[in-house]
Amino acid sequence: MHGRKAYELVKEFASGEKGHLKIFNNELFERVIEECNEHHNALQSLIRKMQEEGLEVQTAKNADHYGALVHHLSLTRNKRCLMAYVYNRAEIIRDLAWKVGLLHELPSEIQEKFGDSEEQYFKDHSKSLKLYMSQLSLDVNVDMVPPKDPYIKVRVLEDLGSGIILSDKSANFARHSMHFLKRTDAEQYISRGLMEELTG
Amino acid sequence: MANYYNIDDILAEEEFVPVVFHKAANGVVIDPSSETNSVEQGAKVELPLWLAQELYLRQAISISVPACFSQRTRLEIQADAACVDLKSRSPYFYEFGCKIAPLVGDKTIEILLLSAFKIRYKEILTKAYTAVFTTTSKFLTLLTKEETNLYEAAQASMAAFKKWRMGGPRLQRASVLGRKRKPLD
Repeated sequence: MHGRKAYELVKEFASGEKGHLKIFNNELFERVIEECNEHHNALQSLIRKMQEEGLEVQTAKNADHYGALVHHLSLTRNKRCLMAYVYNRAEIIRDLAWKVGLLHELPSEIQEKFGDSEEQYFKDHSKSLKLYMSQLSLDVNVDMVPPKDPYIKVRVLEDLGSGIILSDKSANFARHSMHFLKRTDAEQYISRGLMEELTG
Repeated sequence: MANYYNIDDILAEEEFVPVVFHKAANGVVIDPSSETNSVEQGAKVELPLWLAQELYLRQAISISVPACFSQRTRLEIQADAACVDLKSRSPYFYEFGCKIAPLVGDKTIEILLLSAFKIRYKEILTKAYTAVFTTTSKFLTLLTKEETNLYEAAQASMAAFKKWRMGGPRLQRASVLGRKRKPLD
């Protein structure tokens, strides 16, 4: 059936939880492109047939015309599905860069789900964000609401070791240890699930 | 096209509608009963909406009312809209209905959609705010995509309200990473 494969592709994207990425379905993606080529060939052969019969392609409305029309519509439909698939995934990937972290800060189990071009896209987007922030000398990725207190209490959830140097101190961030950190420093670790904020 | 990249819009247009061909078409395989690669004039087939819509505008086919807006569904909705399983009829019942109504020239579809949505809207919001999850899970299977979104939005706003009232940590783990923490190794 026309456009069925493309529908499956979009359906697969929609079936996941909102904002979650699935592995880029290369196989199905290629199949849809193949189908586009088949439609294109069928369209051309029908138009050639009309020309051979000496008909005006623009105005003649015979059975070949409607056949070609169906192929044309299927082609644009497939295109729309492919575009929407790539576009919506790109949106999620940009979101990840903002919400979770740039470049190597993103957990590898998420990065594994990127297609080749998406990986490049993520890298480029991260790089330009970083460049922009370094030119402004401002981290635009922190919480928009100004804090009541610049320091917050956090608990470390995963062993981070002592390799991390924050803006005003360095400490041994062993698992379950508690620290009093600048909020802007702690934010990125909290959003990646490595620390949690304590209120009390 | 405003909704070109909209996933839901694409999926809604994949719903099938019964059509009758007024013009023959060569070289296409859409009529399962036909032995050749063509569609005869007068052939009755089911086409996805995206294809039917465009062919209709070029006067190649005529569209009849799809099964999910049948008389039986209408009677059920009149009886008690909140209990009708719209999801099994079409997960995009409302969107599909809005798109198909001008094509089949049936004014009653719009009235049907509006009255169904009004009654169900009230029911969804009440359930989202009050009922516990175990009793609603059965109810949730009856909802269309649009209604599920509505239900989730209502629950999210309730959760946000509770959080605001009770207080709690402002910063949280990004939701894209999944709700559960990894098991400790």
